[in-house]
Amino acid sequence: MHGMTSYFIRRMLLIPVTFVCITFMVYGIMRLAPGGPIEQARTQLLMAMQEGGGSLATSATGELDLPQEAIEQLKVYYKLHRSIPVGYLIWLGVWPDDDRQGEFNGVVQGDLGMSYRYSEPVLTTIVSKFPISITFGLIGYLATWIVCIPLGVKKALTHRSWFDTTSSLVVFLGYSIPGFVACLALLLMFGTSLVWDIFPLGGFRSENWNEMWEAGNFWWCVRDQAHHMVIPIIGYVMSGFATMTILMKNSLLDNLGADYVRTAFAKGLTERRVIFLHALRNSMIPLCVSIGHAIGLLFAGSFLIEKTCNIPGMGLLGFNSLVERDYPVLMGILVFGVLIRLLGNILSDVILALVDPRVRFE
Amino acid sequence: MATTEAIGRKKLLEVEDLRTYFDVEGRTAKAVDGVDFFMYENEVLGLVGESGSGKSVTALSIMRLIPNPPGWIERGAVRFRGKDLMRLTYDEMREIRGKDISMIFQEPMTALNPVFSIGFQLTEALQHHKAMSKRQACERAIEMLELVGIPDAARRLWSYPHEFSGGMRQRVMIAMALSLTPHLLIADEPTTALDVTIQAQILELMLDLKQKTGDTAILLITHDLAVVAESCERVAVMYGGKIQEVAPVERLFARPAHPYTRGLLTSLPRPDRERQARLQTIPGIVPSILDFPAGCKFWTRCPVKEAVCETVEPELVEVEPSHWCRCHLVQPTATPGGRSK
Repeated sequence: MHGMTSYFIRRMLLIPVTFVCITFMVYGIMRLAPGGPIEQARTQLLMAMQEGGGSLATSATGELDLPQEAIEQLKVYYKLHRSIPVGYLIWLGVWPDDDRQGEFNGVVQGDLGMSYRYSEPVLTTIVSKFPISITFGLIGYLATWIVCIPLGVKKALTHRSWFDTTSSLVVFLGYSIPGFVACLALLLMFGTSLVWDIFPLGGFRSENWNEMWEAGNFWWCVRDQAHHMVIPIIGYVMSGFATMTILMKNSLLDNLGADYVRTAFAKGLTERRVIFLHALRNSMIPLCVSIGHAIGLLFAGSFLIEKTCNIPGMGLLGFNSLVERDYPVLMGILVFGVLIRLLGNILSDVILALVDPRVRFE
Repeated sequence: MATTEAIGRKKLLEVEDLRTYFDVEGRTAKAVDGVDFFMYENEVLGLVGESGSGKSVTALSIMRLIPNPPGWIERGAVRFRGKDLMRLTYDEMREIRGKDISMIFQEPMTALNPVFSIGFQLTEALQHHKAMSKRQACERAIEMLELVGIPDAARRLWSYPHEFSGGMRQRVMIAMALSLTPHLLIADEPTTALDVTIQAQILELMLDLKQKTGDTAILLITHDLAVVAESCERVAVMYGGKIQEVAPVERLFARPAHPYTRGLLTSLPRPDRERQARLQTIPGIVPSILDFPAGCKFWTRCPVKEAVCETVEPELVEVEPSHWCRCHLVQPTATPGGRSK
């Protein structure tokens, strides 16, 4: 176990290095990409001025442009007036920020800056969306397990029977339909009067949810929440459904053919014990390992499903920030995303070491 | 096969006309195609043959562990202590497995479950068959591990299979198989996957434990005639899914009757003899399990075959007392006791 501890400590120490590499690259690319906030502001101003017919500064080439001072001011406002490395280091919080009396204000200090769009701290924005995505992600992931594990087991035990064949058809159908398309179809069918109007047409909760909560209508709130979640959760389950079912089936099938299963039968154990203890315990290993990797995805949320079902989660926030070049928010999401993924990878290794006694990291 | 025996020992196991077939892409592979033999109580019987001759399938059929699909037991009787195992219900058969008949496999590296400690795997059968408490089962498990020569058994009880070497794992398998003092131990190539030095140790251990634990008979499946010579009382030689010859060990080595057995014996390297120019081998290769010839299974490779061999399958005939052979060219000697099946 000693070697394992030092292995995991080494893995943890690598996190900051990886983190800095990824965030620096993204920061640099973002700064170099065209269409940034200054260009957007310039376009907007120009359009406004053209309509207003006001006096304009003229650039050297004779085209309409903003005065140089205005551009410089904008750059300072958006914190884009420094070179990329210095700007990055200030963002990271290891370089004194001249604009704020040489203080250190960055990621290291827990300050992710202000959102261009919402004019509030990035951290506040992210924290307000985070629980929504996690709720959907976690419940969706749990539901996927609850559906896929028994189905995969049943398919393995009835390999090549009519049940296996027909369910494979369903699995491949599910694989070829993206989750958001399924959501769209379900919303059309069950969110409108097209087939049966029993589910709300998107949204996270009803508008009067908070009032009802304060009024103490606990069960109403729970029901309303669940009511809104059914269709998106189906979408989430569809996304991982095929992969996990087939992984479960193949893994169990492999193990059922293993020598140790024959040994267990030869000992006179019941079929139930051989399959559900000996074989299943082994075939769960690859699935357990996938938990760590899935955690990163849970955080990110599914932008397409959030968009389709009108859920204000992380996926939607990320997309909107990208479209509107809200750099601080994008970088903030990146900080959380990278950290959670890196920790998720380590978590996968920890789980693997826990469930498979053969694995020893040195 | 003969029902009366001169020696008067009690029979433990009688296999009659056992046929186990497999479906191979729509064709039927007759892996075991009419196997007859019997075992006395407390006996060590060697079952010898090349790979693909049907030895392992015979063993798995006795245990009713043929994977289905693709395999199935077409017909046959396996009488074990008076009961026909083929007629038992699934649960009755399950009670016999591990308790009355246990089995050791060829691959000690994969025969144990990698995610459970050997203590867990040793005790679960004890708790299942004997309704022992966890504590009793652990004590018995430690006792068995000490018996098979695992040093520091009490501590190693909770080690995992990967922490043992191949030879040690086979010892664990033997401990597991003998922990319930079965009447019959089927050892399917128990030493094949091990180093030569370890092979002898494992073989010795099995025979030693047989003496200590009492009345366990051993069906030793092997392709290694040296192993047979060392450890068995009688030998059954298999070829093409059928028993070709059965005899006490000394007699088989001294006077092999079947041309196949003779071929097997002459193809052994003999360090005591003067070095020949070339090691003798049986000509040809074992036919695919899907197209064994009509008539005698061996005629395609037989050096002394005659026309009749290609069409008529010979019977297993007692050519002299306790010596059976399936060959047209080997006739019973004048001994009056010898008679056909």
